[in-house]
Amino acid sequence: MRIRAVVSATLASVGILVAGWQSGTHVTTTSSAVGTAAGTNGTGSTGTGGGTAGSSGSTGSSASGSTGTSGSTGSTGSTGSTGAAATAGGTFAGSVVQTRFGPVQVQISVGSGKISEVTALQLTNEDRRSVQISNYAAPVLRSEVLQAQSANVQTVSGATVTSSAYLTSLQSALDAAHL
Amino acid sequence: MNTSTQTALQPAARRVPVARNPFEGQHRRRMLKADLLTVIAWASLAGAVALWLADGGAAGFSSVAGAFTAVGIVAGLAGMDLVLLMLLLAARLPIIDGTVGHDRALEFHRKLGKPSLYLLLAHGVLLAVGYGMAEGLDPVSEAVALWVQVPDMWLAYVSTALFITVVVTSLVAVRRRFPYEFWYVVHLLTYAAVLTSLPHQFSVGGLFAEGTWQRWYWLAVCIGTGAALLHYRVLEPIVATFRHQLRVSRVVAVGHGVVSIEMAGRHLDELAGSGGRFFIWRFLAPGQWWHPHPFSLSAEPLQFDDDGGGRLRITVRDLGRGSARLARLKPGTRVAVEGPYGLFSTASRSRKHVVMIGAGIGITPIRALLESTPFAPGDATVILRGHSPSVLYLGQEVLDLCQRRGATLFHLTGRRPRGAQTWLPEKEARSGYRLASYAPDLADSDVYVCGPAGWAQNVLDDARRAGVREEQIHYERFDW
Repeated sequence: MRIRAVVSATLASVGILVAGWQSGTHVTTTSSAVGTAAGTNGTGSTGTGGGTAGSSGSTGSSASGSTGTSGSTGSTGSTGSTGAAATAGGTFAGSVVQTRFGPVQVQISVGSGKISEVTALQLTNEDRRSVQISNYAAPVLRSEVLQAQSANVQTVSGATVTSSAYLTSLQSALDAAHL
Repeated sequence: MNTSTQTALQPAARRVPVARNPFEGQHRRRMLKADLLTVIAWASLAGAVALWLADGGAAGFSSVAGAFTAVGIVAGLAGMDLVLLMLLLAARLPIIDGTVGHDRALEFHRKLGKPSLYLLLAHGVLLAVGYGMAEGLDPVSEAVALWVQVPDMWLAYVSTALFITVVVTSLVAVRRRFPYEFWYVVHLLTYAAVLTSLPHQFSVGGLFAEGTWQRWYWLAVCIGTGAALLHYRVLEPIVATFRHQLRVSRVVAVGHGVVSIEMAGRHLDELAGSGGRFFIWRFLAPGQWWHPHPFSLSAEPLQFDDDGGGRLRITVRDLGRGSARLARLKPGTRVAVEGPYGLFSTASRSRKHVVMIGAGIGITPIRALLESTPFAPGDATVILRGHSPSVLYLGQEVLDLCQRRGATLFHLTGRRPRGAQTWLPEKEARSGYRLASYAPDLADSDVYVCGPAGWAQNVLDDARRAGVREEQIHYERFDW
């Protein structure tokens, strides 16, 4: 009797684990697709920002290295016109902030001395829950920042880690833009 | 000719006792259910991990920090699953109670205590390490950061502290130092520990993330466990108490420090046939009502009318402070009842023959079992054990029952010999008697034992040496 229980419990457990693992390998690709979708969702709204934002939108999903280059073009823009950056405008990428739920990086578009657009290049996407939080918090933060025209806004409750990383990255972008 | 008739007869003769065992089917079904429950328990653990894998959890293993985080999450999921299993084992579910018995269920419950605590601690430590590595922090700063920054995480820390408290106070060495009531109140903190652990599972953990299978699994398991606890540990006792309307009618002294408490109530026919299964009694008198007493009936309920109105009786000894007060119970005191629980009854029979051994106050469930369990005359042996004839409680009633039903009865009185591992009195032990000396069919019998733990272990060892298998042994602990 005991042997029967041990054998069938082992078989059932192994079967369940293998089934879970198999469907997991399938889901992993879709969940990273969800992550990408989250990234492009954030950047998708930058369509209004300008041509550069569109190109960074495609890089938003991939590694931070390529977005880093778009960030550097932004900063060269700022060094080119130093104090006049605010009036000249352009896009400025903030630093990449590491959080326990994944890296966060935002990019701002500046036109006539104002933040015209905030784009999330990377958002916390370690797991589904983080993606869910990011998708919920990013639009809230974006509209608050656009309204306040600074990084001095309240964090989104339930998304403290994402919010504070978002605002830290935003502040470095603001510094780069001399706003 | 001769040889052919012999070979023809032999298989038939062998088949007869098997066919005559009326408990074979019941026993086989119970064993099947026990195995199924084992499989379900392990499958739930595997399922918790599998659902996490199915939601893409394995992707975390791509980096070192991710691997720490992933193992930490698995530890948390497994720990949560074990905690819920523990709650179910203590929920007095009829399916568990009727399959492995209350005693064994609580034994498994105890065995899971430490593993689940270790898993929960590993969960916390591994996540602090994994998250810390992702952020470039050491685990301690990360733990502090989690406490301060992440909402609901402080509740998870409180939950961990509560779990540690509950497990530590349940360790045998610690538990002995404190009264039962202290342990019981601390143990109630388990519910607080589980509840405080839930918010971070919702807000931080991926368990309840929308669009995952895990969400539905954990919602179902948590709600199911909560409902089972509420139904079987709260609702059913209340319903039973109102249905039976028990009141103390008489308290009779049976021996030194031993009293029989008679109660009158309604629908008592529903409580008949419980044999030596125990009920939990609460006498609703000032200073008494919160004290639960686990006692079996010492006699089948006596019915007087068609409504099931009648009387029942329990017989108790002053084992604890609470039991001593029972002797002073006033007639008319209301009694709350829940049960019956346990497998000390016909439901656990597996063989045609039955051997019932009771010591001291442990005789009372034996008496109830003897009254109700079926056996043919000559198939039952009853052994009553005590220091002196005066502690063979209900001895006269047991004698009458044995005469009426055709059971063999032995009275074994006298002290155990010093330093020897035996359950017998000195004289019998020196003569070389064993359990099989009293019950010739021992190896093919159900053995019911009730008495003090140390003594009972000696009986069980004797039975095992005689070839009695674990499934035939039915032992009721009295000292928890």
